[in-house]
Amino acid sequence: MTSGRQRRRVVPDYMAAARLSVPEHISVERTTLVSIAADADAGGLDPPASHLLALLRDEPLSVYECAAHLGLPYCVVRLLVAGLVGNGTLLTRDPPPSDLPDIEILELVLSGLRAL
Amino acid sequence: MASARSDRRISADHIPVKLVIAGPFGVGKTTIVGALSEIEPLNTEEVLTQAGTLVDDLTGVNEKTTTTTAIDFGRLTLPGVVLYLFGAPGQTRFQVLWDELVRGALGVLVLADTRRIDDSFAVLDLVENAGIRYAVAVNHFPDSPQYPPEALRQALDLDPRTPLLVCDARDPASARASLIALVEHIRELVLS
Repeated sequence: MTSGRQRRRVVPDYMAAARLSVPEHISVERTTLVSIAADADAGGLDPPASHLLALLRDEPLSVYECAAHLGLPYCVVRLLVAGLVGNGTLLTRDPPPSDLPDIEILELVLSGLRAL
Repeated sequence: MASARSDRRISADHIPVKLVIAGPFGVGKTTIVGALSEIEPLNTEEVLTQAGTLVDDLTGVNEKTTTTTAIDFGRLTLPGVVLYLFGAPGQTRFQVLWDELVRGALGVLVLADTRRIDDSFAVLDLVENAGIRYAVAVNHFPDSPQYPPEALRQALDLDPRTPLLVCDARDPASARASLIALVEHIRELVLS
């Protein structure tokens, strides 16, 4: 089930985690959608960060997918993303709060599923 | 077809939405995530897993030789929303992980196996305790005993309004029908 691509570690965990500057407040979770900011400066990034940017060049991805493709633990990638959001390189879109799901979102999901 | 493909691209405007598929080991979570997902399902290990092979009861699921506590993750890009599917282990010892997974989820599809109906109780407890909206789908295996829906409902102690479906986790159309029933149920609850 797990492909070679997912298994191969691009950057070892300790290296990915070593130089992370962790923001005080992190609102990044598994399904947070991550994209590259229009004015992002991709120069001078650490290897894990530049791998992450290369991954996001085609389309935005969830944090969870980023973690799987980078072969890094979710908890490390979560911090990596949070750091890059902090310095303006990445943008995120969080899932809406779901205590009372938005009816418009539910309709979108329903019509989308029915149309498949 | 080209336009259909481009519809499937995620943009930064897509709203990420999460659904959780829960159930005991061997019930078909990996299968149903695979049937629904547009990407090859991802599998990342969040919890240490080896110990599980000693603890988890594999009787009745003879073909299953290993247990995965890793989470299955799939994706479905729909117009305006991107649906993320998590196949979550239904054992109470994963409570912490469970709490994290269901936080922000629209709802939970509980998969049950009529050959081992008792195994679903732990999952239903987790779902009820989390106070999250859910539907139950019985994954039909070739050797599954057939019970009338009312008997299953009673055995699982389900609320009369909770949808109870029968599905074939391997079949994308059947898996999708279960998701639609779940989301319709969530919509009814929100509107009521």
